[in-house]
Amino acid sequence: MNKTIYTLWKTCEEKYFELPAVRWLDKKDIQERTYGELAADVKAIRKGFVAEGFSKKQISLIGTSSVEWITAYMAVASTNNTAVPLDSGLPAEDLIDLVSRSDSEGVFLDQKFVSLAEKIRSECPKVRKIWMLSGDKAEGTETVADLVAAGADASDSEEPAEDDICMIVFTSGTTGKSKGVMLTQSNVYCNIEAILYDLDPGLVFMTVLPVHHAFCLSMDWLNGFMMGAVLCINDSLFHMVRNMSIYKPDVMLMVPLMIETIYKRLKSLEGQASPEVLYQKVFGGNMKYVFTGGAHLDPYYIGEFAKDGIEVYEGYGMSECSPVISSNKIGEGKPGSIGRPLPNVEISFENGEILVRGTSVMKGYYKMEKETEETLKDGWLHTGDKGYIDEDGYLFINGRVKNLIILSNGENISPEEIETKLALNDLISEIVVTGEDNLLTARIYPEPETTEKMSKEELQTALQAVLDEYNKAQPTYKQLSRLVIRENPFLKNSSKKIIRHEVLRDEPSA
Amino acid sequence: MDEKFEQKFKEVVARYCSVKAEDIKNDMSFRDDLGLSSLDLMTFLGDLEDEFDVEFNFGEDESKLSRVSTVESAMELLQEYME
Repeated sequence: MNKTIYTLWKTCEEKYFELPAVRWLDKKDIQERTYGELAADVKAIRKGFVAEGFSKKQISLIGTSSVEWITAYMAVASTNNTAVPLDSGLPAEDLIDLVSRSDSEGVFLDQKFVSLAEKIRSECPKVRKIWMLSGDKAEGTETVADLVAAGADASDSEEPAEDDICMIVFTSGTTGKSKGVMLTQSNVYCNIEAILYDLDPGLVFMTVLPVHHAFCLSMDWLNGFMMGAVLCINDSLFHMVRNMSIYKPDVMLMVPLMIETIYKRLKSLEGQASPEVLYQKVFGGNMKYVFTGGAHLDPYYIGEFAKDGIEVYEGYGMSECSPVISSNKIGEGKPGSIGRPLPNVEISFENGEILVRGTSVMKGYYKMEKETEETLKDGWLHTGDKGYIDEDGYLFINGRVKNLIILSNGENISPEEIETKLALNDLISEIVVTGEDNLLTARIYPEPETTEKMSKEELQTALQAVLDEYNKAQPTYKQLSRLVIRENPFLKNSSKKIIRHEVLRDEPSA
Repeated sequence: MDEKFEQKFKEVVARYCSVKAEDIKNDMSFRDDLGLSSLDLMTFLGDLEDEFDVEFNFGEDESKLSRVSTVESAMELLQEYME
């Protein structure tokens, strides 16, 4: 049996045909689709690809979590084409850049992002087709129904090979330019196979993370499908808590920020009702397992949730590893650790840095040979994280080699990416971006020539205006919330590079 | 502003911070003074819908909603929706 998403999905269709696969909310009513229905839709799109000549092509997906999005994704991933799931929260210019850089020939577009259609057509000459996932078609686009109609008489697509690229996931890079992580069919399959934990079908998942993340795609969707679970789509983060009481999930995958928010909600109700009523009210009444990753979780919360009978398991991964590397497992966790390495993963250390080898390690970065060589050496993936393994085989993280800022919502911010953009401004001589209390701070040494005649207040206003202008086009997590104006240039080393770890000590708030 | 409205509003804010409802001032910032995370703020806005029986237009007004910064600005936004 080939280790591909095609075989995974075929097994799901056969084993769970009658069972519900996806639930979502239409206003306040729950809608549902079974594995059999979803599989029929997936196959119809695959036939459309055959009719339209899509074989071994990249196809981008732009949209938020929806049944239409996941149907299109499963169709691409179960063929020899490559899915490119993009972060729909990025500014339009970045999305267009990623569609171009991934050499996508097809794009699935959510109705909410229809305004991108015209730009994609004019700026991405390789794109032959734009299919609207929902809503009416805009000029130059077709609907998924059109694609299905085109393939009505076609045969099903060819099965993918284990080594075909299943998806390209873009990640923020330390060099400033985001990198396209190439994951093969077997990379993704082997990761899911290694994280299965409950083979009785019927678990209820509520999926709250952005669907383009490798963590969400693998741990929620593909893992859930392989176990015969029903995936309930959280329509909006504004309604996360309310939706928990609607869907009554058994399992949720969260980033630490979500656990912190739910904990506050729980605490505020304490004393107003019995613990049973609270468990019902906040978690829906069935919640058993919470899996978390993407950023470090304070083990305090693990103990607090355990009081309500909810087991919280922390894991660790990165897109380059499809993505899970280690995880605490049901019944055998160690709070504070990120679990034992998965069975398909080998770990070693080089100067404290965690190196990973195994069947889930990426093929490389798309069209970035230099960056690939720097990260993958003799088959070992250099994670950029520092850590150690204790006597019981549990992995711990205690620092980072690279300069990434990791916020508790799991977003990785590359400070250099933001700094490069802002350094072009005439008012700025030097800039360093740091992260404290989950907020980004811009630390700026103003350009003396252009700012010497300004008063302190004028300078503050002028620089704040620069930040405001930058923030306008950014997703919330990339916005600069604080401004620190420095009186002196940053401390530098002998090769004139800013010494980053001195930045906070030297002029913390200037 | 109606006193009852303000009191009820601040009780909902207090769910997400360690400051008591009666100590919450109108010019306080959710982030800097009350320590709400971006997700706390979103969840709080979701709670307001249930508590005050309104429906925010999260689709079109999302950026406007997630950028409310002070207690007062959030109360004004809510009143806009209630009218």
